[in-house]
Amino acid sequence: MKKVFSVVCAGIMAASLCACGNQAGNATASDVKAQEKNGAKEQITLSVWGAQADQALLKELCEKFAAEHPEKDWQFDYGVVGEADAQARYLEDPAAAADVFSYPDDQMTTLVEADALYEVTRNADEIKSANVPASVEAASYGGTLYGYPMTADNGYLLYYDKSVLTEKDVETLDGILAAANKAGKKVHMDVSNGWYIASFFLGNGCKLTIDENGKQICDFNNEKGLEAAEAIRKFCDDPAFVTGDDSVLQGGIGDDICCGISGPWVSASVKEKLGDNYAAAKLPTFTCGGKQVQMGSFLGCKVLGVNTQSSHPVEAMELAEYLTNEESQARRFEALGYGPSNVKVAESDEVAADATLKALADQSKFAISQRVNGAYWTPAEAFGAELEGHTGNDLQAMLDQLVEQVTAE
Amino acid sequence: MILLNLIYFLAEVVLACFFFGFGFKYLSHFGTLGENTQLKVWNEELQIYERTTGDNSMLILLFSVFTIAALILFIYILILLIKNVRAIIRLRKEGKHIASFRELLLDLLDKKFHITLLAAPMTTLVLFTVLPIVFMILIAFTNFDSDHQPPGELFTWTGLTNVTDVFLGNATKTHTFFGILGWTFVWAILATFTNYILGMLLAIVINHKLVKFKKMWRTLFIISIAIPQFVSLLLIARALEPAGAINVALMKAGIISAPLPFLSNTLLARICVVIINMWIGIPYTMMTFSGVLMNIPAELYESSEIDGAGVLQSFVSITLPYMIFVTAPATITTFVSNINNFNVIYLLTGGGPFALDYYQAGKTDLLVTWLYKLTVDHHDYALASTIGIFIFMIVSTVSLAVYNHTGSVKREDMFQ
Repeated sequence: MKKVFSVVCAGIMAASLCACGNQAGNATASDVKAQEKNGAKEQITLSVWGAQADQALLKELCEKFAAEHPEKDWQFDYGVVGEADAQARYLEDPAAAADVFSYPDDQMTTLVEADALYEVTRNADEIKSANVPASVEAASYGGTLYGYPMTADNGYLLYYDKSVLTEKDVETLDGILAAANKAGKKVHMDVSNGWYIASFFLGNGCKLTIDENGKQICDFNNEKGLEAAEAIRKFCDDPAFVTGDDSVLQGGIGDDICCGISGPWVSASVKEKLGDNYAAAKLPTFTCGGKQVQMGSFLGCKVLGVNTQSSHPVEAMELAEYLTNEESQARRFEALGYGPSNVKVAESDEVAADATLKALADQSKFAISQRVNGAYWTPAEAFGAELEGHTGNDLQAMLDQLVEQVTAE
Repeated sequence: MILLNLIYFLAEVVLACFFFGFGFKYLSHFGTLGENTQLKVWNEELQIYERTTGDNSMLILLFSVFTIAALILFIYILILLIKNVRAIIRLRKEGKHIASFRELLLDLLDKKFHITLLAAPMTTLVLFTVLPIVFMILIAFTNFDSDHQPPGELFTWTGLTNVTDVFLGNATKTHTFFGILGWTFVWAILATFTNYILGMLLAIVINHKLVKFKKMWRTLFIISIAIPQFVSLLLIARALEPAGAINVALMKAGIISAPLPFLSNTLLARICVVIINMWIGIPYTMMTFSGVLMNIPAELYESSEIDGAGVLQSFVSITLPYMIFVTAPATITTFVSNINNFNVIYLLTGGGPFALDYYQAGKTDLLVTWLYKLTVDHHDYALASTIGIFIFMIVSTVSLAVYNHTGSVKREDMFQ
């Protein structure tokens, strides 16, 4: 009896030791070559993340890519991860993240610091010349291209009701407010949102960016910032001013709201509500320190990145390049209405005819790319909420607090 | 017993195998949590910067915890093994009967039945609760934040920096912590006792003998439970916005001329969350109290009536003591869950209105919602873990202290 057990025991021991010693994953390169010799195609499995709304198009384009590259046996795993969540989901477990994923360019800094992204080194020059300079800049960090620009429409513009405001009115904020007050209508802007409120400061020449050491730079508390803050307070105190998120604008435009500032994602529903009265324009100028100053804005891009943990980096890069090439971007605009970053598609007649994207393109001259780390948003929202709440606190003190929080280590 | 020893031995082998094959390479980095970040190597053929696999501090910490647990288990089994061998030797010497494996197994269903019963819960508890908690607690002593995200940037041990940051070092964080702690307590007390008192009154009114259609009233109030809490909270949050239903209705009715800042004024927002919490919570307390009320023996009231007690006196001397006695432990649970009442706050105000003098937090934020924001939005895991430990210390101290002083614990058999 005892002998039998010791034999079994030794056997199990040996087996388990072997199992421990032989780590998985050493078998790729030689296996692949052997397969090729046998005539079998190399099997490539790539996982791709995209937003819920983009899934159908993503599948379509990936399958087209597979059809155009028949030399390999492609398999795609699709994950529903919207751009906004990409960074958070990536950092949860980089190894489990998708090989190719889309993210907004403002997540670039964090992702590069976490060494999440492959540099675009294959066909980099072609990609740079094929896309508009602003989108290439947005997809770069420290002069290195880290992603494949996919869209260039992550900005904001002014939607207005043609029956209330004229083209002349929407040139200046004062003109808008005067006309709105006359008609008894409201002007919508989500001032308690760092993304929108920055437009006043940026317009008046303040700086909000990240330096090469990854440190946030913000000078909203200087003289120019104070001027801008005074202008925001004046705007918030105007009887025509109304705040709230996109749903307020979408619900109220055409009824009691005559114009509002938001991004292209509300374009469809605003068009639906306004019908023939729909119009879009670049942001107006505002009175700041006695002068008219053009409001600035952020212009962001959605970028496709290739995960540094990918086991098929070259193939993943080919796929990312394909998903962002001229043809794919044209198809994306056609199917989903996303503003393209590709120069040729952006200049095409279809895109030029789109009022929303045209307004966004006009505004893009006054836009900067969003180089902001996570610490900015909460204090900026707090600052906006103070002004919306008409608290009357000292602006300079509030700006100092804002800058201190934003630039804190 | 010999077979048992073999099983022990086998377990030791498996554990040793786990240790040398898997755990050791993590445990050896436990002191530093990794030294090498991912490196870039230019690959001329593929024209890409290939990455060499670097250390990942998070995985090192996680698997080190598991490896240490395996080591402890290893030592424990080793002790068992030695004891067993010694017992066998002793029994042999004395010439006594050595229990067979079958007898040992049968014993597990008889004298040692408690071990059989508790084996599964204990194993899962250790694996899925204790070890992850140890892992989380250890994070509090590192600098795992948004600037130290592996594999690009590794994090390492920083001792008590996070604790001193919260209490001494960093003025903004200290101010935020104590500000939020104060509001958390105010909120927990208000939320618990408004629900308690008003729920009790409602139950008494409905149960009063003069009230007709008792079942209908009860059902009406319970309907609000039937709607999922998050749905009603999100809807109310919408309705309270400047252009939301409530403001519009009030303006159309001519009661106010400008929208009220329900969720953007600190005081108003705090009042709003307490009131809306009442709306969400009172039906539950009403149900509990209805049950308790119906259980109070009617003879007590009858005899008090004969003795000449009025409605108020019978309430103060019979109903109230009875109810407090029965519901005290449940109320403590409610108080604790209100300290951690994530849903109401996060869905209603999101912690807002945000404050410039707070670190990434707003005036209605509770410690737990602040913790959520620090982890999910800002990846400040180390700070969040520190705060989590404090929340645990506060909650456990408060509940233990209060619980041990309740009548239901001290005089367990009073109302039987």
